[in-house]
Formats: sequence, structure tokens, C-alpha cells
Amino acid sequence: MGTHIVQLERATKAFALPEGGTITALHGIDLDVERNEFLTLLGPSGCGKTTLLHAISGFVQLDAGKVRIDGDDVSDRPPHRRPVNTVFQNYALFPHMNVGNNVGYALDIAGTERKERNQRVGAALELVGLAGLENRLPRQLSGGQQQRVALARAIIARPKLLLLDEPLSALDRNLRQAMQIELKTLQAELGISFIFVTHDQEEALTMSDRLAVLNKGVIQQIDTSRTVYDRPTNAFVASFIGASNLFEGTAARSGGNTLIATADGLRIEAACSGGWKPGDGAAATALIRPEQFSLVGPGAKGPTIGIDIEQVVFTGLNFQIHGHTPSGRRIVAIIAAVRQADVASAEADGKARLGYDPAAVHLLPDDGTAAAEMAA
Amino acid sequence: MGSLRNVGVVGLFGYTILFFTFIYLPIVLIVAYSFNSDPINMMNWSGFTFDWYRQIFGLKNTVSENALYIESTEQLLNALRNSLTVAAFTTTIATVLGTATALGLYRFNFLGKKFYRVLLFAPMLMPDIVLGIALLIFFVGADVSLGLKTIIIGQCSFLISYVFIVVSARLAGMDRSLENASADLGADEWTTFRRIILPQAMPGVIGGALLAFIISMDDLVITYFISGVDTQTLPIFIFGMLRRGIKPEINAIATLMLLFSFAVASLGLYFRSRRG
Repeated sequence: MGTHIVQLERATKAFALPEGGTITALHGIDLDVERNEFLTLLGPSGCGKTTLLHAISGFVQLDAGKVRIDGDDVSDRPPHRRPVNTVFQNYALFPHMNVGNNVGYALDIAGTERKERNQRVGAALELVGLAGLENRLPRQLSGGQQQRVALARAIIARPKLLLLDEPLSALDRNLRQAMQIELKTLQAELGISFIFVTHDQEEALTMSDRLAVLNKGVIQQIDTSRTVYDRPTNAFVASFIGASNLFEGTAARSGGNTLIATADGLRIEAACSGGWKPGDGAAATALIRPEQFSLVGPGAKGPTIGIDIEQVVFTGLNFQIHGHTPSGRRIVAIIAAVRQADVASAEADGKARLGYDPAAVHLLPDDGTAAAEMAA
Repeated sequence: MGSLRNVGVVGLFGYTILFFTFIYLPIVLIVAYSFNSDPINMMNWSGFTFDWYRQIFGLKNTVSENALYIESTEQLLNALRNSLTVAAFTTTIATVLGTATALGLYRFNFLGKKFYRVLLFAPMLMPDIVLGIALLIFFVGADVSLGLKTIIIGQCSFLISYVFIVVSARLAGMDRSLENASADLGADEWTTFRRIILPQAMPGVIGGALLAFIISMDDLVITYFISGVDTQTLPIFIFGMLRRGIKPEINAIATLMLLFSFAVASLGLYFRSRRG
């Protein structure tokens, strides 16, 4: 069979709205999921990420298009006949069954012989660090433990693919970060693909091999976390992943570099090494990540932006400087904690000059439409 | 200030005592009279006895069989038997149909579902006397001879609604994603129903059955219209006795029914409170 564990071909789904009309949740999506990969679907609520997950698990029937799992077309199969399992957002543990019966449910349905069943339940619980808790009821467990039971229950039948629907959203921050690492380890140990849905961009960057950013039923970009962060294909992806300073304007060539002239009179210089190069006079948006800025003196070489400082926040790792240009454009810069003296004097002045490297500036087509044209 | 506050506390305490006396004194008196050995005037305490209880269970059969009472103990026991028979049938039928209806409305969407739901509430809101007369006219019109059979059918017509509402409330609190989880783990719809939905609904089903049983045992007005002349349930029998004077055994029966209701209600509350 092919190398892909999941293939979506022009997957389309629209839902009828109660007040009339329809909303398109999936807009002809093509998606190939590699074997043994940790793929994250990221997007704001209503972007179609959960619908996409349900199209794979079978809880959503596509209006058009195909779903293949391990080469088999499963588009018309009901959920219970698809070789995937899901970890649900609220865990969906069966409250009237103890942990052992919850975890063993899939094996009981399949009619697995008693001895093997008990062995595998024990092994699955051990894998998630809950060995020996077979006889507890779900309500006697903490949120983190329930999460692990849901995980054990979903992997016991050895699915070809594990789907995770925002499984960590109900956990507190520390536990969530611990579970992120654990999930990543578990995925490597099991050697199966995980498709993980989240709206938390930090979580997505931490865990994924690849990241698919969805908006309005369309995959905006799918690539490694690093690439999506450094080289977003459009302004939506740039602003959704990480903090960003976006400068929309008109492009003009200047030597080897491109200058973006904004309406409020700023000129942003970009080296455009690789990535998209706008033609003269084309609309383009320049992206400068906050950590790309440095504090520079008056005689500095290279391009700079002057700002009035509104607030300086110390986060422990670094300083976040919030300010605005004379024309009122908001700017965020992140300066390393070791530059404390410079930050203090800039804060005393109420003004700062921010330098940046043109090579670190990334140019984006002006809007999503241009991005789609570029991809085609 | 302090003394005013004390007056308030004492007043509230007194009110509470009065309130509970008002509610429970008649019931306590019935229980007390059931042990009173005076066969004619139960207001007149003439010693402690278990005779009325013995009489009910057929262990003693001499004391009160005098001309003052037209009804015999035999008739009373017969009425009790009728009530239990009716309650057993109606509870079973209403529980099965009410539960099935609740599950159907929970599981499926269809045209007119809301209207259907309103129709199911209507029998509970309808005055008993209207329902009783309507049923009587229906049975007479359909040429069905009145008896246990018509009582069972008539009571079912509104008990189904009670069971439906109790089971529906239970289902409404159920997490829909459990069904998805079950399907995701390989269970077909029937297996999901058997292993997930039904066990979750069970406390509601048992609660609904107990409620139906109690209401059936207790119903006077509707049953009175559709019981015919020969068939008497316990409430009808007791009501009839009131016109001629109260036979002392009735206190014993009331006390036993009280105990029984209390047990059933406790059981119902237990199942309701048991989180699924």
C-alpha cells in the first residue's frame, strides 16, 4: 500500500445552520498523513479542525471527497468499522464501569479471550502509569488520571492511527506540559501516527512533527513547526502562530533587498532569501517576530524602527517591550534578559530604537487569496 | 438587639415544631390507633394490641366481626389483592412503554417531536376527574366490561407519562460523547445501547417504576370511575368505609402501607441519587 496512513481527497463538508443557510466546515481538503508522524491540526474555533478529525473517525460523513486509511477507502464505513481510535476532549469515560472495564472495552467488544484481555489491560495501564488501578471508578480519579485512562482505552486495540481531540485542554498548565512530553514519548514508543487537534499554538509547536494550520475550512499551511513559525505562507498563519509585528505596504526593489513602504511612512527592509519575492509595486506584508528586534544606539548600521515605550514586562527569560511608532502603530519586541542595563536606560528615556536584520524579515502576500494562488 | 434576636430564634423554632406537627400528627395518630384495642371508638384508648395486624394476616378472626361493620376483613384483603395486582401490571407495562418512549425520543429526531413530547406531558396536567370520566365514556362506548382490566389500561394511560418523564430526565443528563466513544472502540449501535445507554438509564428506569407503583396503589379518582361495581381497589374500599365508620383494621393497613411507601420512596431516592 501507499506510504500514507491517512489520505483525504477533496474532503468537503457543509453544515446547515439553524437560522438557515449553511456553513462550510471543510472546503475540499487534501491531506496526506505520514506513517509514524505526530501531526497537529491547529486553528481558531470553528476553523474545521474537529470536523476534519471526525471525518477520519467517521462521526462526520463527507458531502464529497474520500477518506483513505492505510490505503482502504473508508468514506462509507461507520465509526465502529474504522481502524482508528480517539481520545475525546472530555475523556468520555464510561461512568458506570471501572477503569479496567473502560480500558478493556474495545477488547470485550472484539471478544478477546479473557486471559489475554486482562494482560493487555494491565499492560496498557502500566504504559500510562496507572498500573493496578483497574477497580477504581472514573469519578474516583483526578483529571490527569482520567486523561491517562482515556489514552489507555484508545490504544489498547492497537489502532493504526490515534486521534486526539483537544485532550489536554481541561488540565492545568503544569500537568498539561508534562502530558505533552508524555504523549510525544508514547507516540514514538507505539510507532503509530497521532493526529492531534488543538487551538493552543504553543502546544502545537511543542509536540508536532508537522503542523497544519486551518482557517475557514482550508488548510492555510502544513509543514514542520519550525518552517510554519519562520516562514508562514500568509498573514493569518503569521499572526496565529506566535506574536508578530506585521507591516502591510507596497514592495519596491532596492539594491539586492526589497523595501516595504507602509501607509504610515515606515520602510521595512527585507532580504528575501528564499520564500516569496514580491514584484515592484505589489502589495506585501513584512513580518518581524518580536525576538528578531535588538536595542541599538543612535549610530547603528542597518535598518531601525523608533518607538515610544508604553510598558516593559519582565517574564523571567526576557523583557517584553510594548510600544508604538510615532504614527501609532503597535510594536512588540522581546529583548534577552542579559541586556538589562540597556532596557533600563531605554525605559528611563521612554523611547527605544529597535534594529533588525533584513535577512530575518519574512515577506507575505497581502492576504489569504494571494497565498492560495501562490500554492496553486 | 440581642434579646430581639433571641425572640426571633425561639419564634422560628416554635414555628418549625408547629409546622412538622401539622404535617405529621395525623399520620402519627393513625399509627397509634392501629395499636388501640378498642374495636368501636378508636378515639378511646383502651390498651395496646396487635389484634388488627393479626386479623389482616388471617391469624385471628373474631374481634370485630360484628354488625356495626358491613365490610368483612375478607373484602378488605380482596381489595388489597386487587390493588397489588393492578399495581404490578401497570408498573410493568408503564415502565416498559415509558422507557421505550423516552429512549426513542432521546435517540431519534423526527417531524413533530416537540409536539409529541407535549402530548406526553398532557395526561399529567389533566385533572383526574376529567381523565376518569373520559376513560369511563371510552370504555362504555367501546363496550369493554369494567373490571381489573380497565383499571390497568386506564392507569397505564397516565403512568406511562410519569415513567417517560423520569427516564427522560435521566437521559438528558447523559453525556452524548459516551455513545461516540463506544462506537469509536468498535461497538455497533445495539451493543452501545446494551452496554452504555441502558446501564446509564437504569437508575431512572427503577425510579420511574417505583413512582408508577406508588401512584397506582394510591389512585382513587380515576380508578373509581373505571373500576365497575364488583371490583374494588384498596383506596376505593377505604373511601367506601368512611361512609359507615372506620373499621380498626384500616389503621393497621394504613400503617403497613405507610411503611411500604416509605421503603419504596427511600429506594427510589437511593437510585436517583446514585450517580451513574
